[in-house]
Amino acid sequence: MALVATSHPVMLAATCHHSTWGATAMTMAPNLRKFVLTAHITSSLGFLGAALAYLGLGISAVTSEDAQTVRAAWIAMEVIGWYVIVPLALAALLTGLVQALGTPWGLFRHYWVIITFVLTLFATVILLLHMPSVSALAEVARAADSAALGRLGGDLFHAGGGLLVLLVITVLNVYKPRGLTPYGWRKQHERRAAPQP
Amino acid sequence: MADLPPSPDANGNTDVGPGRELPPGIPRWVKVFGIAALVLVLLVIIIMFVSGGSHGPGRHIPSGDASSHMPP
Repeated sequence: MALVATSHPVMLAATCHHSTWGATAMTMAPNLRKFVLTAHITSSLGFLGAALAYLGLGISAVTSEDAQTVRAAWIAMEVIGWYVIVPLALAALLTGLVQALGTPWGLFRHYWVIITFVLTLFATVILLLHMPSVSALAEVARAADSAALGRLGGDLFHAGGGLLVLLVITVLNVYKPRGLTPYGWRKQHERRAAPQP
Repeated sequence: MADLPPSPDANGNTDVGPGRELPPGIPRWVKVFGIAALVLVLLVIIIMFVSGGSHGPGRHIPSGDASSHMPP
């Protein structure tokens, strides 16, 4: 977190205030906050859309009886996975962190922010661990005959599970259900008690 | 994170009450969410055991190590 706050260029335009999360915290200027928010929404919803496209290809690989279609679907799943889903997942995670730490929301103050962060991290780690298997399957699909292609399946378990997690994250981000953590409550209490300048 | 959090000074409508000295407990929705997540995780583990410990597409790979494959 501190690395993001101190080394990222966007933080040059940020302002400092004390005792928000530790010794010193950053609050982004409004224009910068909107820029990071735009990047976060774009990458997060792009992640969701790309996962949907991946699921569509997986369904096509399972249901199609045409060998060329199944082969093409697996090759496209590999390309979409590495060149679209993985970068968008990392971008969503990074911009979410900057957005949390650069605004009064914080990362550990509200339950919905913590859960969103944990789920995004979980989805990204599983994705990175899983993609080599997808590449291996695409490699098999390139040379397999019709019978072997029929046994490849469509990776629907990961695609469906990933979509479920991303939908939960989206709902949490839109509804922002109330609930302060003990840390968030303490910080808000301190802010109320502090004399106004 | 489209908006900023509600200010307790602006509307008094946050989880910090004026006379509150103790932090609030864990909200009910967090407990329900946690139980549902736990059930889902257990379900996935059971399915993995029933299906022989492998749940991914890698089980279809005839030979070789899937982890050695990198981006195209």
